[in-house]
Amino acid sequence: MTLGDLDDKAKAALSALADGEADVAGSAAACAAWARDDRLRADWHAWHLIGDVLRSDDLAADPRGDRRLCEAIRIRLQSEAVVLAPADVDSAEATPRAATADGSWRVGSRSGRGRWAAGGAVAAGLILVAGTFALLRPDDLAAPALLASGDAAPARVASRDAVPAPLSPTAEPSTTPAMAGARSPGAETATPPALVADGKWIRDSRLDRYLEAHKQFAGTSALGVPSAFLRSATLDTAAR
Amino acid sequence: MNSPDADALLVDRVKQGDVKAFEMLVVKYQRRIERLIGRMVRDVDLVPDIAQETFIRAYRALPQFRGESAFYTWLYRIAVNTAKKTLMELKRDPLVMESARAGRDEEDDNPRVENEPSDAASPDAVLASKQIAAAVNFAVEALSEELRQAITLREIEGLSYEEIAELMNCPIGTVRSRIFRAREAIAARLRPLLGTREGERW
Repeated sequence: MTLGDLDDKAKAALSALADGEADVAGSAAACAAWARDDRLRADWHAWHLIGDVLRSDDLAADPRGDRRLCEAIRIRLQSEAVVLAPADVDSAEATPRAATADGSWRVGSRSGRGRWAAGGAVAAGLILVAGTFALLRPDDLAAPALLASGDAAPARVASRDAVPAPLSPTAEPSTTPAMAGARSPGAETATPPALVADGKWIRDSRLDRYLEAHKQFAGTSALGVPSAFLRSATLDTAAR
Repeated sequence: MNSPDADALLVDRVKQGDVKAFEMLVVKYQRRIERLIGRMVRDVDLVPDIAQETFIRAYRALPQFRGESAFYTWLYRIAVNTAKKTLMELKRDPLVMESARAGRDEEDDNPRVENEPSDAASPDAVLASKQIAAAVNFAVEALSEELRQAITLREIEGLSYEEIAELMNCPIGTVRSRIFRAREAIAARLRPLLGTREGERW
């Protein structure tokens, strides 16, 4: 068989495809040949131009314009997502397909390899999900949900699980909240600042210590005289 | 006639991810789509842009094409809608209208009335079109009776190979061969007019 015979065979198949008279295998071969052979592409254009002119002289277009439009569309198609449509049941039976791991379709794959690829993709997905759960602690997952629920009232923040405000036992009863605040840096050197996670809220332990000291001395002024204003403020805070 | 859809095989291939098959459909229908758009917008400068947009929209929408109508009927509707949408946008955006007019006025001292049929195709393009039409018609006349009848029944009447075989009282394989040989014979006379320059490709 000569090269000319092969050319004619490919051209004849392309001609049949132009009329929609090729079979599935023939159309696949003709499309592949068209994609790689400049002469077949030129023939395809010429044959359709001939058909158009036979139907109407109006359709006798300048080939340079045809080429420009084709080139412009080809360039735009390169940036388009590749079309993949689900196959009809009938056509799927005619040409069985298997989904590959990357989501594309492989036509006519009857081998077990295709089925294993699909099963492997599912198994890999399950392992990925399980691994994600193993790496993320339940607390990490629960905290955002609780925060979003609006259930994290400030009054419930300092729970028993929180790091206790380590007020120094040497603290003077008459020390004002301001003084407690001034003293706390010394305590911080012994206990480095840590975020308190009580399962519902996360915040700085220094704030807890400050609030604790504030409550303890809330009822007295710097001179030890009860202050109605501060007391009421404390009550307000507790009520929240 | 012309049923089932002659484009079904190519459409199926595009749906399976074969972009080249869509390019084949573009080459097949570009002239008909451009002529349709040209009758609607009348401004030849807009025609290639709208045609381009039509094909891109068709490509994006192809997964939804169920084959309930012929592919060309579906494409035709997309072209009409795209042309209408473009015209609406031009009317809505006076700046575009003004710039389009300004661009035309610079090139042409005789500004056209809006929507007046324009004939902005270059004389070269008009001449090339006429030469192509003449070459095709001359080549068809030069064909043998069998080849001419086969190609005419297929391209003008839109008959299937089976119908042509019945009419011409010959096997389908013969019809297939006659149509192919007729195309080759006409294309041989046409090729000098379709010459592709270096670096150009279909």
